Amino acid sequence: MKPIHTLIIAASSLTALHAEPLTFDFKDPKGVNNVVFKLDAPLESINGTASGVTGTITLDPANPGTATGKIVVATESLTVSNPLMREHLLGEKWLNAKVNPEIIFEIKKISDVEKKDTKGEAKVSGTFTLNGVSKDITVEARVTYLPGKLGDRSGGKMQGDLLVIRSEFEIKRSDYNIQPGQNLDKVSDEITLSLSIAGAAPKS
Amino acid sequence: MIRSLQILALLCAFVVLAAWAALGAHRGWTMTAVPIKKTDPITEIEFVEYDHRFVPGVDFLGAGLIGSGTILAFSFILSKFTKPKS
Repeated sequence: MKPIHTLIIAASSLTALHAEPLTFDFKDPKGVNNVVFKLDAPLESINGTASGVTGTITLDPANPGTATGKIVVATESLTVSNPLMREHLLGEKWLNAKVNPEIIFEIKKISDVEKKDTKGEAKVSGTFTLNGVSKDITVEARVTYLPGKLGDRSGGKMQGDLLVIRSEFEIKRSDYNIQPGQNLDKVSDEITLSLSIAGAAPKS
Repeated sequence: MIRSLQILALLCAFVVLAAWAALGAHRGWTMTAVPIKKTDPITEIEFVEYDHRFVPGVDFLGAGLIGSGTILAFSFILSKFTKPKS
């Protein structure tokens, strides 16, 4: 084979490799991935976090609009500072964590992608499942692609890329059949969710 | 007996107030997990780590003071019934 042919084959293989979508795993061994929830009612403000984040997103960094996947949050991982409040939150009257152990966001469509270097913003449409009720919602997300940064994060144990996703959106608990119309003076209907998660795509 | 109850009530109120003040005088609900904000240096994600310790809130203070008040009220009621007849 002539050297020029070898070069062309090698170059096209590299291009094909780069264009391949990567699968980012959001189960973070460092426990950094989190969702903050805030409820601001007239008589009481409730803040808490959920850290049990798992799920995968398959994304081509060169073409983020084709991403697919889902993010799952373990209901049991929802934490507030007051133990009694947490017990009520996870109990059968509210989130019923035993019956509904997962809160899920499944990506269906990505639109309005604005990409600048390794950062991007997009509107992500998908199905949000909470308390056993599924609804289609659209949220705005900010994405940062960090090629080769997995090594820095894992202390050199693994090599690969990182994908950081941030999103803030609001839902109504009444939409998900969580005590609709009840205790509105202490537990607001609107829930603000702030998602900050990083996924890893190891390279073998 | 009555005097002992009154001293106990005042002592309870003092201990509850002192414990609440010494452990941070937290004006929210009692906490058993205190959130501490941290930032991951690589991803710059802000996350919360919980320090599992007891921080009494206004509910602890209220319950303690109500308990002390109940003991004090009981001592006064008891003093009325045990007054020597003249």
